[in-house]
Amino acid sequence: MTEAVEPVVAIEHLSVDYTVGAGRFQAVSDVSLTIPPGRVVGIVGETGCGKSTLAQAIPRLLPEPPASIGSGKIIFRGTDLVPIPKSRLAMVRGTGIGVIFQEPLNSLNPAFRIYDQVAEAIQIRHWRETGVLRTFQPGPKPFDYSKRPLPTVADTLSKPFLPGGAVQEAAVRKLRTKADFRREVLEYLRLVRINDPETILDLYPHELSGGMRQRIMIAMALSEKPALLIADEPTSALDVTIQAQVLTLMKELIEEVHTSILFISHDLGVVAEIADDLGVMYAGRLVEFGPVARIFEHPRHPYTRSLLRSIPAIYKSDGQLASIPGSVPNLSRLPPGCRFNPRCSLAQDICRRDPPPPLRPIAGPGEDDVHRSACHFAESVEPVA
Amino acid sequence: MSSTPGTGGGEPAGARIRRHAVGFYRVLRANPLSFIGFVLVFLILVVALIVTVAPHVLVPYGPTQETGVYNSPPSWAHPFGTDGNSFDIYSNVMLALPLDVSIGVAVAGFSLILGGLLGLVAGYWDRPGTLGGVSSSAILRITDVFLAFPSLVLALAFVASLGPGLTEVILAIMLTWWPYYVRLVRGEVLAVKHLPYITAARAAGVRDGRIVIRHVLRNVLEPVVVYFTLDIGTVLVTFSTIAYVIPGGLPYPSSRPEWGAMLSYYQGSYLIGTYWWAITFPSIAIFVTVLSFSLLGDGLRDVLDPRTRRALAQSAITHEPPPESPVDKAGVAEPERVPSLPVSPSIEAGGPP
Repeated sequence: MTEAVEPVVAIEHLSVDYTVGAGRFQAVSDVSLTIPPGRVVGIVGETGCGKSTLAQAIPRLLPEPPASIGSGKIIFRGTDLVPIPKSRLAMVRGTGIGVIFQEPLNSLNPAFRIYDQVAEAIQIRHWRETGVLRTFQPGPKPFDYSKRPLPTVADTLSKPFLPGGAVQEAAVRKLRTKADFRREVLEYLRLVRINDPETILDLYPHELSGGMRQRIMIAMALSEKPALLIADEPTSALDVTIQAQVLTLMKELIEEVHTSILFISHDLGVVAEIADDLGVMYAGRLVEFGPVARIFEHPRHPYTRSLLRSIPAIYKSDGQLASIPGSVPNLSRLPPGCRFNPRCSLAQDICRRDPPPPLRPIAGPGEDDVHRSACHFAESVEPVA
Repeated sequence: MSSTPGTGGGEPAGARIRRHAVGFYRVLRANPLSFIGFVLVFLILVVALIVTVAPHVLVPYGPTQETGVYNSPPSWAHPFGTDGNSFDIYSNVMLALPLDVSIGVAVAGFSLILGGLLGLVAGYWDRPGTLGGVSSSAILRITDVFLAFPSLVLALAFVASLGPGLTEVILAIMLTWWPYYVRLVRGEVLAVKHLPYITAARAAGVRDGRIVIRHVLRNVLEPVVVYFTLDIGTVLVTFSTIAYVIPGGLPYPSSRPEWGAMLSYYQGSYLIGTYWWAITFPSIAIFVTVLSFSLLGDGLRDVLDPRTRRALAQSAITHEPPPESPVDKAGVAEPERVPSLPVSPSIEAGGPP
């Protein structure tokens, strides 16, 4: 990959704080990450390591307060999303970042038929495209969130006395009939490999299985034509066969729809299946980042190595299943130094005293700087046997 | 009930209404009690309309018209008997029907709109430290003040300060009634607003206003409408109680009779053992009306919920095989023809706390 490609999203030193009661803790600290176009970036980590917070922070979906973005930048197609005031967020959301959630059970509104749900997503995109809804314009010109553009005198005089929005809206409604919508809804349902979308349209979410619902979620997310799709554990609530189907679907869609994916999961197997790059998070920090194959072959952080070692192997049954001793530290009482040091087999005095180095490229045989780790002893981590 | 599958969006309005009507009828048939409720409420409304528009069809005597027959037990000429003034009790009971029912609907409706609106605002915009948080706690503290007293006692206090009279009693009940709806709606909104589909809508760029109206309100509506229907009966009982408890709270005999006022008047001068009909028939009128609305409320619950609606509609069809679930190529078989679908977690989460 060349350096000239502009990433879809560049996260720079992002920290997210939660204020709970009188306490305050960092769920995500100092995470930097870039997602190039057309690539699938996986993020793995244990429960509570901040991966879901990261996923929701990117489209600014976190409830603020209690959450707040302490520092850092989220640069989406040239615009920093962090300083956008809350009142303007609706303009940005859905204009390029689609989100798929973990619970397919609750992610669709139980009161509406499938048609209505997908059509709403399409409708909103359509309103944006035709200028009925004010929206964020990606492009070379940075968007100015501070003030609304005031209409000029000429604008005002040339318009009829009816409010401009209503006239425009009526014109748009006339242009797009129900049949158009229906065709487009069906198109998206077919895109996610639903065999007889005609039948699905009239059903309510509770009449569909989990896998079907997740497909519809994907269809809705894609219908807004996102440049980045954030999938927050999209397969965790499904059973294994359905999980495989949804993963296959997503892999196929990457080819068809040009979108980057940020894939959050706690399941290394799932990530290995779908991701190009892998980021490993521990206690709010990104500890290792690199191409999936390289990480699986030779992890450069003791935590990643322990994670990989604890994947149960079907073909060998020698003794106990490997696990990581200890448990994830409480985010409000982090150990000094490296956050992983109490559980780490390589820990030295420096690990207990000094913060770990920032993600740094690992030198290896004929390697570029793609594989990075935040460990003092990255070079001495053994490959997984 | 996918009798017209694949018609979403492109379906003509007529067919859609017909489909809904058929579904509605099937749901009703599935539950005989709520069916009775629907029929009774329908009858009550028809009778109330007739009494209002053309009283002579159903009401033989005026409210204070002397019939010349004193203290007569029920007979063909006077189905509910007459009182000591020789007034016809049947006529008075019938004439009171439109007033009592419309008071129930109006007071509960006013509370539904005012309380529902406040509850929606207080529930959706409640983040502490924001303008919404301040308004939310202001609304809730005010409702707390009202909820600290039993509504009947509070209403009686209002009547005592406003003075007797029909308008005053209605006003007193309206003033005490709406806080319950604030609590109910707010609770429902709190349960719904953190569900992933609301977050998903926000992620799609739907604005708060549209989310509240389209996504939150629609999912909150069902328990609220059911409560509203049941509440009509409660309002009616409270109204009659106030009219009964406060002597001269509502004038009777008058040109505008009311059931509670009738009870209040007759219990003083008549004994159950001797002139039982004078208080029995107004009581039955209250009982039947309240019961009808309660049954209707139960039935509405089934009709409004898309989950039970389709299941009930299917279970009511005996001659038709249930439609094959076309959905499940993913492998999870859906339970077929269950009388009531298993409660999904979304209902549990959205149910009353």
